[in-house]
Amino acid sequence: MCREIEVKNLTVTYEDGRERFCALEDVSFTMRAGELVSIIGSSGCGKSTLLSVLEGLRSPSSGEALVGGEPVTGPSPERSVVFQQYSLFPWMTALGNVAFALEQAQPKLKKRERLELARHHLERVGLAGFEGRYPKELSGGQQQRVAIARALAEDGDILLMDEPFGAIDARNRALLQDLLLELWEGDGLLPEQRKTVVFVTHDLDEAILLSDRIILLEADASRGIPGHVRDIFTVPLPHPRHRHDLLRSPAYSAFRCAVSDIFFGEEEASSLQFARKEVLAA
Amino acid sequence: MNKTPAYKTALDVVFIIVLVIASWWLATDVFGVLPSRIFPGPGAVFSQIVEDGEKILTGIVSSLGIIAQGFVLGAACGIGLGLLLGSQARVHAAAEKVVAFLSAIPPIVYIPYGIALLPTFRASSVLVIFLATFWPVLTGTLAGVSSVDKRLIDSARVLNVPRPKILLRVTLPAALPLIFNGLNIGLCLSFILLTSAEMIGGSSGMGYYVKYYSDFSDYTRILAGIIVIGIVITAVSMLFGMLQRRLLRWR
Repeated sequence: MCREIEVKNLTVTYEDGRERFCALEDVSFTMRAGELVSIIGSSGCGKSTLLSVLEGLRSPSSGEALVGGEPVTGPSPERSVVFQQYSLFPWMTALGNVAFALEQAQPKLKKRERLELARHHLERVGLAGFEGRYPKELSGGQQQRVAIARALAEDGDILLMDEPFGAIDARNRALLQDLLLELWEGDGLLPEQRKTVVFVTHDLDEAILLSDRIILLEADASRGIPGHVRDIFTVPLPHPRHRHDLLRSPAYSAFRCAVSDIFFGEEEASSLQFARKEVLAA
Repeated sequence: MNKTPAYKTALDVVFIIVLVIASWWLATDVFGVLPSRIFPGPGAVFSQIVEDGEKILTGIVSSLGIIAQGFVLGAACGIGLGLLLGSQARVHAAAEKVVAFLSAIPPIVYIPYGIALLPTFRASSVLVIFLATFWPVLTGTLAGVSSVDKRLIDSARVLNVPRPKILLRVTLPAALPLIFNGLNIGLCLSFILLTSAEMIGGSSGMGYYVKYYSDFSDYTRILAGIIVIGIVITAVSMLFGMLQRRLLRWR
């Protein structure tokens, strides 16, 4: 089983009529199998673009993304995806959405087995009893639980998550983060048996809580600088993790301070520059 | 939006119907305000409906048969072609312009071609209903396909759903609300056009019944026909509305 990810000199350029826009330039990193890595950065830094290349929905302009040594050319059953929002099919119930994923992932299943398995996956994300609800009858957090159940049902070795909890209120976001940790760390799973997860977020605390490593992307559209890797941090905290213990650990605090300085410091600098530009323009 | 419970609305509607029939009865049978030759009273009209029951029923069956054939065929072709044309961006853009022109032509003008090319007037009527449904449904489907949230298509793609299946299981249901707009227009046009066609050259159906007795100035039967047409169309629209609510209950 080859589940490591390698991104080599990846550049992505959008062509919109006459306008050309470079979203990512020369991005390189590697991930080993069973690793959870967050891609973090402010809006417009190209983190979602990067993920869409890994999803196989967008082709690189140059460079390449390799999964298990093979270049990504399109979507694949070995890569399950959880999007930010509005990715459930509104005309299917919670159960129907998960079962639809199983139709593709395990076409040989009989309908009854498929529904049984779908029910099991909904249970795993804490949605027993909500099988018959349509997405509009579920809260945002519950909808994301269904999306996670759908990805679990697809059962790819790699899980790609594009700001999955970005639109959820703080309390439910924490519950979803705990759920993800619990599912990913598994019950007695060895590190290399875990899924390889790429987790895109703009929330630094979320990235620290969940990941083995954090890739910080940055871009400055006002100066025409496309998204690129600014830094890669290894989170010095062992898995399995628990929110409660983590928040009280000195290692966590120290690491958070160090990364915050870089993460937020950069933001300040660019907004200063923006302000200076405005002054010049006036 | 509308908070009045259904049973209250139903009660109000019954009240209005009773009120209208009562004023009709007062204006004709009781006080004779309206000229009785062209405005017969409700008693005469309703007993005429009962008396002509069999004839009227045959007419309804004939009309609904034509509508069913033309409408189902037109809807199927409109949805099918709309999904196929709509899924290719470039074809879609061109198709929308062409369809806008073709759908602007009232289908009844094709009757001469129908009569020349098809064996019976009934077949020509089916053709007219087909076109009356086909164009609005095609327009609705094209609009529906372009309204589909790209995120849903992406979701299906990352689930490795093959293209044809995406069209059927994702694009079609996502486009269904706008497809139903087209279907409703098509159904409404179908009834208007069919009754007109039946009055022009038909030899059966609800429109024919009204036209036939208007040649004898039999206003009791004319009014009977008008009322029956109203009831039948309302009933069909209500049934269709129920189907729509059922299929779009996820909204």
